[in-house]
Amino acid sequence: MVRRLGWIAIAAAAAVLAVVSAASARTSAQAAATASCTKGVSIGMQAPITGPAGSIGSDQLHWALFYVTQWNKTHKVKIHVIQEDTQLDPSKASTTAQALASNAKVMGVIGPAGSDEVQAVAPIFRKAGLAFASGSATRVSLTNGAWKGYFFRDVPNDGVQGPTDANYMFSKLGVTSGSSVMVVDDQESYSTGLADIVGQSLAGKGVKVDRESVSQKATDFSSLIAKVGASTKVVFLPFQVASEAQLFAQQLQAQGKTAVAFGSDGTFDSSKFNVNGSYISFFAPDVTTIPADAAVVKAFHKQYPGATSPFGAPNYVLAQMYASAITKACKDGRISRAEVRKDVLKVNLPNTILGGPIRLTAKGDVAGAKFHIFKIENGKYVTVA
Amino acid sequence: MNWNLFVTEIVAGVSHGSVYALIALGYSMVYGILKLLNFAHGDIYMVGSFIGFGIITVFGGPLNLTVSVWLMLFIMFFCAMLGGGLLGVMVERFAYRRLRNAPRIAPLITALGVSFFLENAAQLVLGAQYQSYNSFGWTNSAIALKHFGLPAHAVISYAQVIVIVGAVVLMVFLTLFVQRTQLGKAMRATSFDREAAAMMGIDVDRVIVATFFIGSALAGAAGVFNGIAYQQVWPYMGFQAGLYAFIAAVVGGIGNLPGAVLGGLLIGLAQSFSIGYLSSTFSDAIVFAILIAVMIVRPSGLLGRAAVQKV
Repeated sequence: MVRRLGWIAIAAAAAVLAVVSAASARTSAQAAATASCTKGVSIGMQAPITGPAGSIGSDQLHWALFYVTQWNKTHKVKIHVIQEDTQLDPSKASTTAQALASNAKVMGVIGPAGSDEVQAVAPIFRKAGLAFASGSATRVSLTNGAWKGYFFRDVPNDGVQGPTDANYMFSKLGVTSGSSVMVVDDQESYSTGLADIVGQSLAGKGVKVDRESVSQKATDFSSLIAKVGASTKVVFLPFQVASEAQLFAQQLQAQGKTAVAFGSDGTFDSSKFNVNGSYISFFAPDVTTIPADAAVVKAFHKQYPGATSPFGAPNYVLAQMYASAITKACKDGRISRAEVRKDVLKVNLPNTILGGPIRLTAKGDVAGAKFHIFKIENGKYVTVA
Repeated sequence: MNWNLFVTEIVAGVSHGSVYALIALGYSMVYGILKLLNFAHGDIYMVGSFIGFGIITVFGGPLNLTVSVWLMLFIMFFCAMLGGGLLGVMVERFAYRRLRNAPRIAPLITALGVSFFLENAAQLVLGAQYQSYNSFGWTNSAIALKHFGLPAHAVISYAQVIVIVGAVVLMVFLTLFVQRTQLGKAMRATSFDREAAAMMGIDVDRVIVATFFIGSALAGAAGVFNGIAYQQVWPYMGFQAGLYAFIAAVVGGIGNLPGAVLGGLLIGLAQSFSIGYLSSTFSDAIVFAILIAVMIVRPSGLLGRAAVQKV
């Protein structure tokens, strides 16, 4: 009986191995293959369309789709977008990445949105030979070389954000050498990484940094806020959940503290974080306030009525970059993933809706990118730097 | 010494501990009678919190309340306790009753299943987004913003006062109910020996239903207390709160009602003092270290009695 079970187990293992090998070989073959451009070219779009970050993901998707719709009206080579919902969950991002990698029609991917997700999907896309680009993943290490030539982004990284925020606190918010700043992470990798960078930038200026940490599910910060002293000018909150920053800022004010709450990209949601007098740094400008973008924004709102946030527009530019690369690759009527990968990294857009040019460095970062700082006034985000 | 920090940590700890204690009471009551770890209990707390949020929405939302805050609070507590209690009874009726004589692992796994079911059902029906009671901005009375002064320039918000006083009142009522009423005596008898209680003519089914109703009603109230003091509600909020309450029940001596209250307060204070004086990063580790230390020194909890094994 035991021997029979052993044989069955060996046979099952062999079958699984065969299936995995076949799937793997198929993916590799697809990656190397070329496809005709006549029926259009597909790009994948990974975004958190539903779930806690659903409003952000939908906005990202809408801006990418908006560009593609405009493009398809005037160009012969049509672009199709294959949507995948990641719910900001790295495991779901991996599963949907596998689906895109296995689809021979997909020549490049926009997304995923989060840095953890990018790390999860990178080995899959690299193996499949696919370029993938994020309009919101800002962790520095993502472009440190492991996925060079495959991953790129059109937003600045946290290495730019740290000094930008520290300089602003120093020059505008009364932070001086010898005063204190409380830096609180939410125990997720995005938050801890950014908190460390900002903390180091401030410490380098002689500021006393009180480094703290709270769970992303915490709802009572009074124990921590009690430690905010009179010399503490700013509480930096690089959280991923905007409503958590709101709660912290509200409790800060309720305890009569004068320190200013300062959020980061994860808290950029005026419907959830809107305590007056607080600040936020963000990797993209608010395109609705750029006069040159008025026509584009109007057309966007016509196609997608309702509010938009700065999370969306970088995805418009990513779609623009892919369209440019696809045009170049399709000159001979055929396209491959390798061609798109090579061409998209060479794209040079002299002017974009993000208010400046987009040119990538060899690592896949944007050359000369900068962070933007907003102040909350009457519940609205006003650009101040 | 920074007395402001000390007093603030006491307020935060007692306020949080009161919520944990209310949830822990439900754990302890059910365990005392059925020897069941009802892991779905934290999710009943979540449902109670959402019921409270629903009442706020019905009355125009936090920034446009159309009724007096005190009337709304009364309705919130009434509906959350009734809704939580009925949900607890339903869970007992449909998920646990058939497993009463099954091996102990079966209802335990079922309890986990019910917990996941409630969380996912809530996400499906109510959405995954965080919602806020926003008692900082209630139209007529911002109870999270208004506060009483305490020594050392510390403050306690109206919302925290409501949580602490409300929890104490409910605990006193529960104690009186268990000590003085016939049903309470039946609950104690059933907890002591279910078979003997049945032989003495006690309707054990009725006692179990009452236990689930009362324990779950307290969890529903705890959900509203948490909402008015700490604002946020979301479908998975019950897991963490339930876990802390479970620790509180075990630390105090599971099955022992005063122990559940003591455990809740101890966990709340341990959390706040570890954040204030030791490390916010390791506060959870400190809380769990307390659990381990108590279990090593007193395996049956601080107020629990060692079970006598008859052989």
